[in-house]
Amino acid sequence: MVAQNIFFGILSAIVIVSALRMVTTRNIVHAALYLVAVLAGLGALYVLLTAEFVATTQVLVYIGAVMVLFLFGIMLTKAPLGNEMEMTGKQWPLAALVAALLGGVTIYSLLNGFGSDRLVTDGPVYRTADVSDEVFSTYIIPFEAVSVLLLAALIGAIVLARKD
Amino acid sequence: MTGDPLFIDGVDLVDIGIMAAKVLVAFTFLLVATMFMVWFERKLISDMQNRIGPNVAGPWGLLQTFADGVKFFFKEDLRPENADPLVFRLAPYIAAVTAFLSFAVVPIGGSFGSGSSGTVTIFGRETYLQVADPPIGILLLLAMSSIAVYGVMLAGWASGSKYPLIGSVRASAQAISYEAALGMATVVVVILAGTLSTHGIVAAQAGGITRWFVLSSGVVPFIVFLIAATAELNRPPFDLVEAEQELVGGFHTEYSSIRFALFFLAEFMNVITMSAIMVTLFFGGPAGPILFGMTWFWPTVWFLLKVLAFLFVFVWFRATLPRLRYDQLMHLGWKLLIPLILFWLMFISLKELRAANDWNWIATYGAAFIALAIGTALLLAGLRAGDRAFQDELEEA
Amino acid sequence: MEQYLPVLTLGVLGVLFVLLSIVASRLLAPERATVAKRSAYECGVTEQVAIPERFPVKFYLVAMLFIMFDIEIVFLYPWAVANDELGLFGLVAMTIFAGIFFLSFVYELAKGGLNWGPGRQLITPATSPERTTTSTIRKVGLEGRIEIETAADDSEAA
Repeated sequence: MVAQNIFFGILSAIVIVSALRMVTTRNIVHAALYLVAVLAGLGALYVLLTAEFVATTQVLVYIGAVMVLFLFGIMLTKAPLGNEMEMTGKQWPLAALVAALLGGVTIYSLLNGFGSDRLVTDGPVYRTADVSDEVFSTYIIPFEAVSVLLLAALIGAIVLARKD
Repeated sequence: MTGDPLFIDGVDLVDIGIMAAKVLVAFTFLLVATMFMVWFERKLISDMQNRIGPNVAGPWGLLQTFADGVKFFFKEDLRPENADPLVFRLAPYIAAVTAFLSFAVVPIGGSFGSGSSGTVTIFGRETYLQVADPPIGILLLLAMSSIAVYGVMLAGWASGSKYPLIGSVRASAQAISYEAALGMATVVVVILAGTLSTHGIVAAQAGGITRWFVLSSGVVPFIVFLIAATAELNRPPFDLVEAEQELVGGFHTEYSSIRFALFFLAEFMNVITMSAIMVTLFFGGPAGPILFGMTWFWPTVWFLLKVLAFLFVFVWFRATLPRLRYDQLMHLGWKLLIPLILFWLMFISLKELRAANDWNWIATYGAAFIALAIGTALLLAGLRAGDRAFQDELEEA
Repeated sequence: MEQYLPVLTLGVLGVLFVLLSIVASRLLAPERATVAKRSAYECGVTEQVAIPERFPVKFYLVAMLFIMFDIEIVFLYPWAVANDELGLFGLVAMTIFAGIFFLSFVYELAKGGLNWGPGRQLITPATSPERTTTSTIRKVGLEGRIEIETAADDSEAA
């Protein structure tokens, strides 16, 4: 349990620092890489919570696919190497306020919902098969809806990429 | 319950010691095997090309790689002035560390089947002969290969030079294209084994050659996996990333000295890991006859021999096959391998269910045939429409 | 979770290996950078054209399609593990799911999103009747040679 807390501390520090660096850096590729670090840190936190399959999903989908798309997007348009640019918009105080409010609401709802509940350390270990039991029973409709949603996303991407 | 029995009853100092020993052995094995692999490839390819190959450093040139490695340390480490310093330094770490980690889930020994579950006993503790056996097992390999894309991509981008940039964009598109086929070929194995753990996959193949997944999955997934793995490793004939005639050295053109050596090391380490993974998934891992005495010794020997066979295959590919053009590469990956393996994994699932539930033979395979016909018709229609759309686009331009 | 301890150890060992190699190389290797050494490699030519800042949009479409297949694979794994337990219901659900993905894949194919190579009709043959030595070889220094030849002719005539 002590080891878990130590790792939780280290990982949280990495995630928080990377998140801050992501919004303060002036290089757009660096910002994307700090986002990768945030996502990887969250993935490691899922491992700590024994949700290993979710952690792998995080790495495969977010780091392996979504962020690669981000980087492609940056390279497709413009990735000014070396020359840093101002990436902070004029409305940053407003945005900071919204972010603070959102963070406050999340923290409040978490504290309100779970309070001082502790993680069950010797509880059931979730196997990958448990994930599929859930997906193919309770969440079967959202599961099928995901494919339609992604079909729409792909059509959107093709329309965007068209010349005319 | 999956997982290394070493950690079942808590973790104490002896456990940690055994774990550290296993990690060190795997680490050293990888480095030495990489050294040997580079020599093996050079020697073999020179045989195939009627040359002698390295023959000066050590007996039969065996120490050639070691000499090269030492030399790299003494070379000047250059960085182009318009490179991005931070990312330029980061890229070799990503490449090398992911290469090390992928090997963690490979079982390199232990006898399976007929009562024994592949454990060995060291200092009174039972353990598996693999670095780690996490429940997600084989997914760790996929996760590592999707992180490894960053090593290549960032190295190319951060160099601030044309050839690396073009090479890295090509490489990352190639890697993600074939990763899908690689992942789906692995799904077929998971259907048959019913577990993600590599130890479980090997255990499911115990009991003779006919139970090896290369046969019971109908060979197709193995061929798809082999092609996708070759592409994923950027090995010939898929080495467009460093097509020296057009891109100099591809993504590592600007890297010199030890940083280049690290990319080189990672590349060859990945070849070894991928061969080991193929042995694990399709060829029963360390399975093989135990000839005399020492039950722990023979499985490891069989494992190494099988890996060596795959290393030979990779070198053979390089000596035989001409490099693909980029459009051929993309067409092979997307238009052939992915539809094929998608159908095949559905088919294997159906086949397994039929065997388990004793469904009517004609109804089951009739349904599969109808699905195949519809799928093929759709695919062909899509291909023709795509060809026409592309022709129109070109004629307009 | 203890199962990840060896993975972590191996990772730390890997990082240390890279770090120590780079430090050792820094101690051992010379450092005599010049302008030529520090410029981008261009096969010996001085850099003249800027680095391309835009790439074909096809790469973006491939990455988009990969996200879709990656998500499909992520759902395929839990289904594959429990294939026996889920039975026909799981297979039908997965077939619908994968079928819709296949449809979007065919849609991208039909829109030409996965065409990379030259179109079949537009590949010009390597040789054609118009391509002769007079059309492809530029004769260098021809003017001087003609003059000399005509001068020789003149002297012969005289």
